[in-house]
Amino acid sequence: MATTTATITLSSTDLLSDELALTSTATLTTAGASTGLVGTSGLGRKKLASGHAQYVLFDGDAYANGAHKVYLKNTSTTAAEYFTIEINSEQMGKLYAGDWCLFPWEANADTNDIKIDPSADDMVLEYMLFIDE
Amino acid sequence: MATTTAAVTLSSDLLSDSISVSASSTLMKAGTTADGLDMVDYGVIEIVTGDQFDLLDADNPASSPIAGVMANKANKVYIANHATDETYYVTIMIDAQNVGRLYAGDWMFIPWAAEDANADIEITSTTGTNKIEYALFHQGRTLNAS
Repeated sequence: MATTTATITLSSTDLLSDELALTSTATLTTAGASTGLVGTSGLGRKKLASGHAQYVLFDGDAYANGAHKVYLKNTSTTAAEYFTIEINSEQMGKLYAGDWCLFPWEANADTNDIKIDPSADDMVLEYMLFIDE
Repeated sequence: MATTTAAVTLSSDLLSDSISVSASSTLMKAGTTADGLDMVDYGVIEIVTGDQFDLLDADNPASSPIAGVMANKANKVYIANHATDETYYVTIMIDAQNVGRLYAGDWMFIPWAAEDANADIEITSTTGTNKIEYALFHQGRTLNAS
């Protein structure tokens, strides 16, 4: 069985009076079981064409319901540049330059697409999907 | 300014070549590299089965401390499920749109635009009581007058 882990560390020495040092590790498993995820898109990069068109990154119709995990990173170094992330046409948030995110994706409906919309031309997104097959 | 960093490491033996992806970002206010997010709401709560709850409310009620203040900013949200039964999960939604199921031991870290009054981060437990840790990093809000 494959073993995939995701570790997050949130840290700050000056946000609070006490130091923030939070670390959490998750082993990515199939829905409701301890079996490791066995599918992945691999790590990919996309340069979005000019025109700021909204782009379907992962199509809800292409995946069964499951405990998928999505990793995204905005590789831009221009502070004002962001990707708007949407799920089923609802905005999740804006991923600014250098930011990353990791979240579960159930793909529970054909319309449950993950869409990205760059705020500027020729922005590059790094992405990876871990698939509950 | 406060300096808060969020780092992730993804490791896997799924492929013939091992996966080892790392990323680190400093949590900044929207569109700047000069000023970090300097506010945080951090807590732990037990989510019981049955109802859908607003874990983070974009604007509720209208007099809420966060009403509109965080809209379309670079807020960041961390949520972890501390349940230990592998069948336990909470469903995370934004404005009634399904994001995914956060199973026991899982965590998520996302940007949250809180774009309008309905863009709440909603949470539902259907399998049992799940202990949820959460943190919202943001750039400020005003308190209600008493």
